[in-house]
Amino acid sequence: MASQLTAPVGAALAAEVEDLLGSAEPEGIYRDTRECTGILLLAGLLLLSPPTPRPKSVR
Amino acid sequence: MAEQAQQESTSLSAVVADVATGVALALEGECGSYALSGVLAQDDAVALAAIRVLGADVLAPYALHGGAARGGADETVVRKALAAYPPRADASEVSVWTYRGLVEASRAYLPGGPGGWPPEPPAESEWVRTEPWPRLAHRASQLAALSLPGLAPGLAADLAVRTEDLARGFVRAVRRRDWLQAAGLGRWLARLPDVPETLGLDAGLRYVRRMGDSDARVTLQVTAARRFHGRGA
Repeated sequence: MASQLTAPVGAALAAEVEDLLGSAEPEGIYRDTRECTGILLLAGLLLLSPPTPRPKSVR
Repeated sequence: MAEQAQQESTSLSAVVADVATGVALALEGECGSYALSGVLAQDDAVALAAIRVLGADVLAPYALHGGAARGGADETVVRKALAAYPPRADASEVSVWTYRGLVEASRAYLPGGPGGWPPEPPAESEWVRTEPWPRLAHRASQLAALSLPGLAPGLAADLAVRTEDLARGFVRAVRRRDWLQAAGLGRWLARLPDVPETLGLDAGLRYVRRMGDSDARVTLQVTAARRFHGRGA
């Protein structure tokens, strides 16, 4: 190696190391097919269900 | 100040890519005998940071060829990288695990000095059991360097229980064109037993390699999967 290694570490470089190690996932909306199927099924059942029985009004 | 930070950032990414390329070439057997200190073009804090970022992978060629480093130059730079970038008190689990991985690999593949290597910090692995599969996949991919044979056996055993979730994450990463995550997950899956045949891991790894070949870290992950575990050939 050309010269002696030096170990002083800039805070910015240390932070960059942490960023590269634990980078977040790119933003985006990604749906789980099974969850979507469940939500659609639930919505369908709610739409097809008979109306809630209500007490008859007494005049 | 901000300009200097930006310069360091660009420089670090470039050095990480250079070292990753050197390691991948060594795994392919294309550059003769490997020495980490020979791959480093610089000998400053940025080079040490690159070692810390790539973790155990900087010693992967020694794992493949079964021999320890020739001479103490590699030992010196790895020691300095470990000393310069220990996980901070508020460090992420990924940071702690990668530090552990580098210590473990150094102990396994480099000749031990009189002072020995620093102790491996305790790393938490509850997340492997509790995280939902997309987050598990993302984190596991960041720890792909620990999939080197013999490293982190406990973590590998925990991940093996969730092989199906990792396979699901691999497919998701490919569909999102997140080649680095896909390559890391494919590498873990290459190590784990009981990977479903229906996943098409070999074809998937070849595809990831082709699509992500502009990223040296992707190439390194896929090359390691092939050379160590024979997947994606």
